[in-house]
Amino acid sequence: MAQSNSNEPIIVCRDVNKWFGNFHVLKDINVEIYPQEVVVIIGPSGSGKSTFIRCINRLEEHQEGQIIVDGIELSHDVRNIAAIRSEIGMVFQQFNLFPHLTVLHNISLAPRYVRRQPRRDAEQYALQLLDRVGIPEQARKYPGQLSGGQQQRVAIARALAMQPKIMLFDEPTSALDPEMIKEVLDVMKELAQSGMTMLVVTHEMGFAREVADRIVFFDEGRIVEVGTPEHFFTAPQHDRTKLFLSQIL
Amino acid sequence: MRGEYHSSDHYVAPPEPPTSRRPPVATVGPLGWVRANLFSSPINSIATIVMAIILGGLLWLALDWSIRSAQWGVVFNNLRLITSGLYTRSEIWRVELIGALLVMLTGLSLGIWGYVSRGVFLTVAVSLAVILGVLLIGARIGEPTLYMLAEPERTPASLVFLGTQGDEVSFEIEPLTDLEAINARPLGYIENQSRTDWSTRAREARDGTLDLGAYNLHLTAALFRPDGSPVTRDGAPVRIAATPDDAGSTQTVELPRTGWYKLEVVRDDEANDENAGYAWVKVRGVELLPSQSELLAAREVEYGPRPTAARALLAEEAAYRYEGTRTFAEFISLQVAPFLSTIALEAVVGTALFLNGWVIGILGRRERRVRRTTLAAWVLSVPVILLLLGGIEGSRALPAVPSIQWGGLLLTMLLTVVGIAASFPLGVALALGRRSDLPVIKLVCTLFIETIRGVPLITILFMAKLIVPFFWVGLSDLDMTVRMMIGVTLFSAAYLAENVRGGLQIIPHGQIEAARALGMNPLLMTTLIVLPQALRAVIPAIVGQFISLFKDTSLVAVVGLFELVGIVDIIVSGQPIYRPYQREAYIFIALIYFVISYAMSDVSRRLEASGAGSVHARR
Repeated sequence: MAQSNSNEPIIVCRDVNKWFGNFHVLKDINVEIYPQEVVVIIGPSGSGKSTFIRCINRLEEHQEGQIIVDGIELSHDVRNIAAIRSEIGMVFQQFNLFPHLTVLHNISLAPRYVRRQPRRDAEQYALQLLDRVGIPEQARKYPGQLSGGQQQRVAIARALAMQPKIMLFDEPTSALDPEMIKEVLDVMKELAQSGMTMLVVTHEMGFAREVADRIVFFDEGRIVEVGTPEHFFTAPQHDRTKLFLSQIL
Repeated sequence: MRGEYHSSDHYVAPPEPPTSRRPPVATVGPLGWVRANLFSSPINSIATIVMAIILGGLLWLALDWSIRSAQWGVVFNNLRLITSGLYTRSEIWRVELIGALLVMLTGLSLGIWGYVSRGVFLTVAVSLAVILGVLLIGARIGEPTLYMLAEPERTPASLVFLGTQGDEVSFEIEPLTDLEAINARPLGYIENQSRTDWSTRAREARDGTLDLGAYNLHLTAALFRPDGSPVTRDGAPVRIAATPDDAGSTQTVELPRTGWYKLEVVRDDEANDENAGYAWVKVRGVELLPSQSELLAAREVEYGPRPTAARALLAEEAAYRYEGTRTFAEFISLQVAPFLSTIALEAVVGTALFLNGWVIGILGRRERRVRRTTLAAWVLSVPVILLLLGGIEGSRALPAVPSIQWGGLLLTMLLTVVGIAASFPLGVALALGRRSDLPVIKLVCTLFIETIRGVPLITILFMAKLIVPFFWVGLSDLDMTVRMMIGVTLFSAAYLAENVRGGLQIIPHGQIEAARALGMNPLLMTTLIVLPQALRAVIPAIVGQFISLFKDTSLVAVVGLFELVGIVDIIVSGQPIYRPYQREAYIFIALIYFVISYAMSDVSRRLEASGAGSVHARR
């Protein structure tokens, strides 16, 4: 079912379990994601979908099971974590741009200091990325001077600057004015078309239907249903999925 | 209830938005501001008027006192002590050199990185113009009258003074033959002993124990050159011979040359053995010499030894006290001009050096080499300054000056700068340590911070002086000044750590997550993301801490170091002539403290408003 150019999955989750205190937030998550695949994760609030993708770059720690990213298993080994994080770009709901740095520095900071690229190269690539997300003229401004949509596009460019193999999006349009959602989604569509492996948590069903290769439906910490958009939106199998879709569509 | 909707309820704006207009005149401009802020309501108007009266009154009192009766001589005669304390006098050039170095480097750095606003430029230009202008004007305003009391017990007496060629000097004798004459307050400089005697005699005369009517003084007053020859006018010696019936007229003479003069007042004992009574000898046109032995010595080198006499009174400041009130012109001439003339050279040289550095900085700001050299010069200036200040033991060119002699503003600034430079990194490290995940580091940092914060600074300074050598004998050799620096640094670091911790706490967790997601390690995250934002957020608190550190340095006086406050204490208590002028001295150093503190908080305001991340100021 999954569209893939490689037989090897780039992310493998096996029986992943996680608790916040006594609260069992992820229950036996099993999923494989293949290179160049766009997977959209949907589900009601508190269903564990954000926690799940935050486990993939270890912003959260899972307590049971295995997460293997690009052949490296996530463990307490600091070197593994650093290696994996530089493979994975992440875009947050609240943008989390660095307010004390210009847009250009926001984007070129990590390549310069983590990857130790020369400043000139890093900034040149940052300008290319800004061009790609459609705001080349904002390079010298500070994040506080940009609109929400522009900030989120900068955040995408910042994640891309590390040339990741995988991009995680944690509700990238939820904090945006309706007028600005489209400009961010357009950038994400372009990214998907370019062959980036993407995991997207979102409530934008139009985006999911149009761009996703697979849709994963989360509820109460477990995966309820996985399927292609056509299958998912036209012929959902599980009652919970049907209920969810009936409420949002 | 709303009734049925009609087509008139439907509104569509015209296609073109209205053009923007100016606000009504009454709400903008100074008048609008005054109306909106000072007189917006009856209560506000009353408050404005009452506060204006109170503030105006206080200002009036302060100005009235400082212009009409304050004696600022205690300040400008002791500027060397105030600026560098008991620093070896012959080595004072080292302090001056350090000042010049710092001024030049500041100019250079401002030229390269800074931006000198027109306001700053104007301020400097106006200050220089005022200094030079006042010096010019001050020289034209006449000296006030000098009063000496001629009395049976103390006459003959001589007034020795330094005159300039062409100066017009006049003197007269004013007999005090009735109550009205002795009660009249003299206006001008009164010789100290005369002042005491005069007030005693006046009291006795009022009591009736002294009969002023028995006046029968025969006095002769005459002006002599140092070689003993009389000063002449039209060939005749300039002198007054006063008899009980005729006090004689005022004698005025243009001094023939620059040098020492002696006005000799002799009582004619032979004419009348029962010579009794009192008279003022009033002298105009004589300038008082600053009462500092080195200046006097310099004058004697220049003009030869001063004339001697049986009872010679030198026309020096310390021997005289101003009585009555001054005019503004006299204030400029007597109080401001001497002060400015003592700093004029330094001000001009300093400005020249500053401009020099500034121009080089402006020209070289695009050159990486210039920028690097400047940075290196700052770093290098630290050991150079310490070497210059301390000197080298046994060296002839740069003899050692023990740090116990460093004092005044020099010591205050030294303690402040070292305190700031050392406590900043320490405070940041403590703040990070207190938030560390490692319990041991966290415990040690917390313990240190809370212990220091729980103890008054003065206790820490005493501990640095007395107790530390008990714990560790090696420390007993440590210089007292260095110990005080350490004490001040530790104290400041503890408070700074709490301020910085406040800044660290307001960094949203999202910032840290974003940094981690980009693969940054904790060190990069702290230095690139967390600290820049945290420190910027607490600039006001940090600068506030530095300002209180600056003011707290005055506490080192308790261990026997004489910084600004300590040295003023020495001046007013160690030199009896300055004892009456404590107010002037303390007000002056209060001004110094205020100016520096204000400059610091002004810099903090600029830092807040400028540079990266100050989105608010940018709107």
